[in-house]
Amino acid sequence: MINLKEFESDVRPDWCPGCGDFGVLAALKDALVSLKIPPYNTVVVSGIGCSSNLPGYIRTYGFHGLHGRPVPVALGVKNSNPELTVIVTAGDGDEYGIGFNHVVHAARRNDNITVIVMDNLIYGLTTGQLSPTSREGQVTKTTPDGSVYRPLNPLSAIMGVGGTFVSRGFSGQPKHLSWIIQEAIKHRGFALVDVISPCVTWFDIYDEVKKQVFKLEDAGHNPSDMEKALQMAQTDKGLPIGIFYRREDVPSFQEMLQQQIGKNPPSKGVKTLDKDKIEQLKYEYS
Amino acid sequence: MTKVEDLTVRLGAAAGDGIQSAGEILARILSRSGIYIYTYNGNQSVVRGGHVWFHIHAGNKPVYSMGYGIDYLVAFTQQSMDEHASEVNKGGAIIYDSSSVKPANIPEGIKAVPAELANIALKYDKYPIMKNTVSLGILAALMGIDFKIVEETIHTQFGKKKEDVALRNIQAATEGYQIGSKQERGKELTYDYSRRLPFLHSNYSFSLGAVAAGCRFYAAYPMTPASPIVHWLANHAEELGITVFLAEDEISAINAIIGASYAGARAMAGTSGGGFALMQEALGEAAMTETPIVVVDVMRAGPSTGLPTKTGQGDLNMMLGLSQDDFPRVIVAPVNANDAYSMAIRSFDISDRYQVPVIVLMDFAIGDGAYITITEDFSPAEINRGKLALQASGDMLNGTWFRRYQLTEDGVSPRSIPGTPGLMYVAKTDEHDEFGHDVSDVLAGLKSALKTREQMYEKRMKKLDYIRKEMRPPAVFGPSRVDLTLITWGSSANPAREAIERLRGKGISVNSYEFTDIFPLNQEVEGMLKQAGRLADLEGNYTGQFANYLRRETGVMIKDRMLKYNGEPIYPAEVENFVMKVLGKEVR
Repeated sequence: MINLKEFESDVRPDWCPGCGDFGVLAALKDALVSLKIPPYNTVVVSGIGCSSNLPGYIRTYGFHGLHGRPVPVALGVKNSNPELTVIVTAGDGDEYGIGFNHVVHAARRNDNITVIVMDNLIYGLTTGQLSPTSREGQVTKTTPDGSVYRPLNPLSAIMGVGGTFVSRGFSGQPKHLSWIIQEAIKHRGFALVDVISPCVTWFDIYDEVKKQVFKLEDAGHNPSDMEKALQMAQTDKGLPIGIFYRREDVPSFQEMLQQQIGKNPPSKGVKTLDKDKIEQLKYEYS
Repeated sequence: MTKVEDLTVRLGAAAGDGIQSAGEILARILSRSGIYIYTYNGNQSVVRGGHVWFHIHAGNKPVYSMGYGIDYLVAFTQQSMDEHASEVNKGGAIIYDSSSVKPANIPEGIKAVPAELANIALKYDKYPIMKNTVSLGILAALMGIDFKIVEETIHTQFGKKKEDVALRNIQAATEGYQIGSKQERGKELTYDYSRRLPFLHSNYSFSLGAVAAGCRFYAAYPMTPASPIVHWLANHAEELGITVFLAEDEISAINAIIGASYAGARAMAGTSGGGFALMQEALGEAAMTETPIVVVDVMRAGPSTGLPTKTGQGDLNMMLGLSQDDFPRVIVAPVNANDAYSMAIRSFDISDRYQVPVIVLMDFAIGDGAYITITEDFSPAEINRGKLALQASGDMLNGTWFRRYQLTEDGVSPRSIPGTPGLMYVAKTDEHDEFGHDVSDVLAGLKSALKTREQMYEKRMKKLDYIRKEMRPPAVFGPSRVDLTLITWGSSANPAREAIERLRGKGISVNSYEFTDIFPLNQEVEGMLKQAGRLADLEGNYTGQFANYLRRETGVMIKDRMLKYNGEPIYPAEVENFVMKVLGKEVR
């Protein structure tokens, strides 16, 4: 029986009181329990930043790597052992800034991983610099006169490069977020879960988000309709959350690889070559 | 006809003329005649046009390097004639396409063999690509090789699927052979048609060794001259069950193999210097998280884009000084395709047992297109995955983290693999305690954390003390009592071997210390260097990176250095002249 207790860590989060990331941590645990995925079959991979400290706070296997590089680590894990549930938890700096290239390519390959981006529109741990999702005019330590950088729209970007599951949640609604994460994990291939997870210290937009947020399901949105999904991703009328776009007819990269090399993933024991095979390959060119 | 012990052939053409495959066919013809070969691919960073050449050194005994001058030049273009005619040895021959090449500057004592190569080729195909085959026919006749071997090789080359193409090529070769047979035979070796010798270049034999060692995950981004590794592995992926991941960049490639290894696979990445520069941060990541990985750098001449299709050994300083702060790493450099196979197996073994990154340095002179006859026995690998925690004890199933970074005598802690119940841990790039918990954030600077920091640092670094004992001192090539000892590392051993043998014939006694285990250095090295007589350094970079490193590690300063950085491989004749100069002897 999988229960919440199994995921409990004795390490206390070092996030600020009221940080959005608490809600994401709770939602992730709830999602894993609901899906009955045992902690030892789960790998949580993160980058660097406040949100990337998450792996220590949930007792699964974890990899706390480099800034911006959790996606390639995660797909390496998944390729090595496709039976594992592999989840990236990182921030907007990791995934939309320094490591965006990896997100784009993981999305177009349809790597079977779930990428949860705790998007707070600011660099928190480095004390408040402009992020790729910061708004125009936003005042930060690096843009004291207001930002003149146009922000990235991660949802329409990932839909544009062939992403097969694009969603957004809000840390203030962890139950709803847990549902999105569950759907993302069940999804066949790459799933982006952008989470508005406000930074109470450097850019507190809680009240504003709470007022604007509405659920796509309630608005009757059909996630198979990309045109509508793109409209919703770019709307300035409120802040939609939920599953924007989803298709299940595209095989994941790992499925494709397995078709080519068979169902003997790299992690399943070291397979050596015998003398005859080695000799055959040694003479291959002569 | 002149019987010789060894000879060289150079094919010169424009890119797109197909001389690399012509060179490979010739290498195969020779190998099926019991001849030892070394080849070098003088290519350019162009797809069509330009000037490219393929060089073959062939001998009755093992050969290692470029040999001396050119005995047979095949000039498909005027530029090939102009560029290489002056390098042809006395008694040699120049075969040239008389429909387009003028016989310029052919030195005395060299036979000119004009033939309308392209026009003959057009009889058998609508494109003149078979001019290569015609020239191989002429060469075989001049070198006294039985045509049956040529025919057999062409059949093998095209296989049953393209029987028609094979037959037309054989006709083209036959016509060439007839032209050659009308000439007086030139230099020839002693052929043994009952013996077929294998040949590989180091990218291929290293790949074979990696797969033999159980590597099942390879990630790369295309970069010359490392690309043949990904080509070889991709071609064998289905047959051998290898996952080949062509990443969006080298940063992704190395992080992917770290992920794959963390999840239990033996994993490897390959690149050249520029790609490796991008990977640097992740080498620290592998060392800090104690994840075993093997990374190959097939060096090319830098810096920056440098000479992308030319050779050099300039990346050693990068490997010694990789990314931020100190962390354990192992650096090895095989001599050629013969030891590259077992070096791959050793690299995975050391990497797994010590949970450290192993870096393998190869280069163009032994890599892409630089085939060599394999004389070594390639044995199956014995696998030792090192310290693994395979099963949790009862108390671990109740809410505790696995003590992944447990302090131990040799600094290596048991590692668990995701999917194993009860042994969960977080691999950390932050400084951490034995359980993988950060000491970098809320504990940073506290007295307890200072102690932990020191212990963890020492834990990681002391692996090197144990690895050092397993590293090999340099092999000694040549006699033990000598006038001069050449210091080589990796591929620079090869031209030294040929020079040493030639010098021996001249009564000059030289040997070489062939370093393959670069970092950490075996503890005997300092004594070896101090007890040796006169030393001279031989390497392919501007500053003498290896000699400078040896000085730093052992205090031994090698003043005489032959440093080559023009992008060409080191030629044995240059080594010979260098030795004569160092010893104050006249160069003849």
